[in-house]
Amino acid sequence: MTISGPAALLTSGSSREVAYSWWPANLTRTLIYVILLTIVIVEAFPLAWMIITSVKDSHEIFNTVLPSQIKWENYPRVWHALDFPVHLGNSLYVTGLTVGLILVLATPAAYAFARYRFPGREVVFYAFIGAMMIPPQAILIPMFQFLKSLHLLNSLTGLSLSYVGGGTAFAVFLMRAFFLSLPRELGDSARIDGCNDFQVFRHIYLPLARPGIATVVIIQSLHTWNEFMFSNTLITSPDKKTVQSAVFQAVGQYSTDYTALCTGLIIALIPVVLVYIALQRQFISGLTAGALKG
Amino acid sequence: MATQSASLSLRLRPHLAPILFIAPAGVALLLLMAVPIADAVLLSLQNWNGMGPPTWAGLGNYTKLLSDETFFRALGHTAYFTFCTVILQTILPLLAASLLNSGIRGSSVFRTLYFMPVVISLAISGLLWAMLFEPNFGPINNFLRAIGLRAYTPLWLAGQNSVMPSVIIVSVWQSFGFYLVIFFAALQNVPRELYEAAELDGANAWSRFLNVTVPTIWPVTLIVIVLNTINGIKVFDQIWVMTAGGPNYASATLATYLYSIAFGAMGASNSRLGYATAIAIVILMLSVVVSLIQIRLGRRRNLDSELEL
Repeated sequence: MTISGPAALLTSGSSREVAYSWWPANLTRTLIYVILLTIVIVEAFPLAWMIITSVKDSHEIFNTVLPSQIKWENYPRVWHALDFPVHLGNSLYVTGLTVGLILVLATPAAYAFARYRFPGREVVFYAFIGAMMIPPQAILIPMFQFLKSLHLLNSLTGLSLSYVGGGTAFAVFLMRAFFLSLPRELGDSARIDGCNDFQVFRHIYLPLARPGIATVVIIQSLHTWNEFMFSNTLITSPDKKTVQSAVFQAVGQYSTDYTALCTGLIIALIPVVLVYIALQRQFISGLTAGALKG
Repeated sequence: MATQSASLSLRLRPHLAPILFIAPAGVALLLLMAVPIADAVLLSLQNWNGMGPPTWAGLGNYTKLLSDETFFRALGHTAYFTFCTVILQTILPLLAASLLNSGIRGSSVFRTLYFMPVVISLAISGLLWAMLFEPNFGPINNFLRAIGLRAYTPLWLAGQNSVMPSVIIVSVWQSFGFYLVIFFAALQNVPRELYEAAELDGANAWSRFLNVTVPTIWPVTLIVIVLNTINGIKVFDQIWVMTAGGPNYASATLATYLYSIAFGAMGASNSRLGYATAIAIVILMLSVVVSLIQIRLGRRRNLDSELEL
């Protein structure tokens, strides 16, 4: 048995496996913490640097590690200079409309795929699965032309519509699995009590589907809020830009004014980070479940 | 004719509810996905500058791709990015997840911290890293100079050879926590008895990792590989905000190349929409092939029952 102590890092930390005379038992544990903390530093450094830079005086940016005094003034300055209230409002509108549309469209469809048998079900369902495989680049140019012909180019509603196709397919797929996990008997007994199809869906299954809906809301909100390519292409006038493309534009405006840029990025991040902190658990499980099922 | 449609409606009557439930989503999918895709295929067979009437090109755009050196460079960069991110974004999160799963305290704190960059948009992390990478006064090169490595300060995003590795670093930083959480969940489901049995057989930690952990979580590993591959094929946001595919196409991927042809860095004057769409179709084909592989794998796993129709 030729074993090197550090290899014990890779499996369960039971005390037995590190019982080599030359390798102190608690060194393994210490080493694990050192590695994990190093990763924390690597992952957190860009964010920490961004926060520190955002409160520096602009002539200190490149000379000092820490600011001599904290300048919160950058925040109101950038908040107004970049018209953040407008862009946050735009992003909120697009995200709300997109998620709302997707839920309204996808929830009944997912329910029907899970609960009914009808001719052509397989074919239609595979069409939905097929839509999930479409990379956004493939529909960007046709979508541009399509919205242009509807006079919905440079419109936040048009931007939302461009997200609805792919989002609906994904939501149907996720929620169908959720509806399948709910007991069939509930609907059957409600039907005996005289509920029609719509009432069974509306009053029995929809309330039970809330965890599934929550997963879709989290995934889709984050995805829509963070989307860049469509929002940067389909919206042209500055006052209609979403947060993502507004901060991208700001790079040209501020170039090396890193204080302002960092402040802008932080303001752009705050909504997502606040929601993440409030709903960590749901975020982590929702996003990973979405990946594993999708 | 009338009787035919009458009998059709009679046959559909019992299925009215599901049809009504699915119709809105079906129409949305048709208008916002199927029609654009058909449009894209059609457009890829035409020459069009977006203004005048398009002219038929047949397979002309595709044959032009075959002699377009920049297209092949973009294809190569996409493959390079995909290959490196598949390797790094599978192995690093898996190893770190194993450490987290070794019974240490505070693993949920670590997971929360690692996951942080995942919720940040690709565009914003690209903009942030563009500042970090700034060669003359950016913090990374400042740090390297401060610890006496002045000779080893790369140009990062500004260098022909360093730009792709830099872009890959950003990707690994961003998605590390995401894949780590997936692996961590998978590791928690590995039965403890398997490790104990292996230990009794005298397997050391490394061989237990290779012979117990890796095979048991192989299905999840495959999913991670597929997800990374699909994301690699489509990579756009970070690269576009950091370099727009530059310098001199040194970080052009399929997506950034098609974007610069269609919309230009600053709104192109003579956009070649048909040609750009042909590249989009190439991305589409590649993603569909990988997605089909994914479905195959999912089938074999546990979606068997879930997908039974």
